[in-house]
Amino acid sequence: MGIREQNDVLRQELAAAKDELSRLRENASEVERLRRLLAIAPPEEWKRQGTRVISHRLGPNAALETFVIDKGSASGVSTNTPVVSPEGVVGRVLRYSPSAATVLLITDPNSRIPVISQKNRAQGILKGEGPDRELSLQYVPQGVPVEEGEILVTSGLEEIFPKGLPVARVTSVGRSGSSLFQVIRAAPLFGSLRMEEAALLFKGEPVPLPQPGADGAPDPASAPGKPGKFPKTPAAMAPPERTAAPAPAAHAVQPAPAQPKREAVAPAPKREAPPADADRKKSRKHPRAEGQ
Amino acid sequence: MRPARIVFWVFFTLSGLWLQSLVPGVDFLAPGLILAMQEEKWTVPVWLGLVWLFLQEGAGSLPFGSSILWYGALAGLYFFGHWLFEARNFLFVFILGGSLGAMHFLLIGVMVLLQDQTVPVERLLTESALQALIFPVEWGLVYLIHHHLPDSADAA
Repeated sequence: MGIREQNDVLRQELAAAKDELSRLRENASEVERLRRLLAIAPPEEWKRQGTRVISHRLGPNAALETFVIDKGSASGVSTNTPVVSPEGVVGRVLRYSPSAATVLLITDPNSRIPVISQKNRAQGILKGEGPDRELSLQYVPQGVPVEEGEILVTSGLEEIFPKGLPVARVTSVGRSGSSLFQVIRAAPLFGSLRMEEAALLFKGEPVPLPQPGADGAPDPASAPGKPGKFPKTPAAMAPPERTAAPAPAAHAVQPAPAQPKREAVAPAPKREAPPADADRKKSRKHPRAEGQ
Repeated sequence: MRPARIVFWVFFTLSGLWLQSLVPGVDFLAPGLILAMQEEKWTVPVWLGLVWLFLQEGAGSLPFGSSILWYGALAGLYFFGHWLFEARNFLFVFILGGSLGAMHFLLIGVMVLLQDQTVPVERLLTESALQALIFPVEWGLVYLIHHHLPDSADAA
């Protein structure tokens, strides 16, 4: 083999080695990121599921601070599913399709999360102020101690995020004129543009939502692209299923044979209506009959 | 459609999406729609518009319908405008870009208002200005490239 040929072979080997090195570096970086993601310890009764960020803000309709993840209703994702990173809370699911979902970041002006300061336990509402801007902590009365550098964690009052997840770090505390509340700024703990993976939190095991058309009938509640269709208040929720009346205390010791639920809620058949009702109906009809 | 044109539109779509990820809030596909309406058979802008509409709807964060209004208004502006101006006139395209910038501000403003949401006005203004500036420049570039395609009558 001549020197020229040997040189060509070595060049090819060098190119292959560089390619492999680049690939391995990328793998090592991914392993590091996934390891940090796996280190997220979900609170009790909550399950964690990893997801990839497949797109950041894109196009003329990207009005809100969002990104798209590769998990949708087929993986149990629904509106308001919490999205977290190893650093802290990222946002919540705004809308979803079977295989993807749009996440509203906490930096968006439409995002508001009830939080509590970790050290002084001051409560407030953390509001996004837009991209590249700090968040504002609202409704913290004057006199309530809040320190710079303090971590704000979710209070769990909105029943979307579990309690105690870190969200932001207080950067400045001040007051403005005659306002009753302090002016507090906080920096989010995650960098949205650097995010490649995130974790979804589910209360209990994630249950894939029924797909429209899977059983022939679309489920309006799980229709993709319909944010805010879930009831927001307990009063707006559908009434719970009626169950049999609770057994008296004596039954707890010696439980009575269980009765089917249907019997407990089924209305009495018309034939078994008390005779008094039938008489009353007849009495109502009589005047008309007489009148005719 | 000839292979060179298919490659051109595929490449244009991919480049447009890549540029949209670099400059969020700006539509880099809209100049292509105008070019397709000017230079291609009517079926081409219809198909391209349909594909781009779904891409923009899926990538965006507004309810379905915003892109229909967006591209519908753009097509309407073009048809209305080319009665008054020469369709390939740069001034016409410049006016079209300005109108598109204004429309971005209005459309996004109205859509978020209807959803009871807010967007930072400064960012919306910046995006509108960028849209108005980028539109004629990009149209000029793709117009030149399109006219130098191998199967083009003007190709050298």
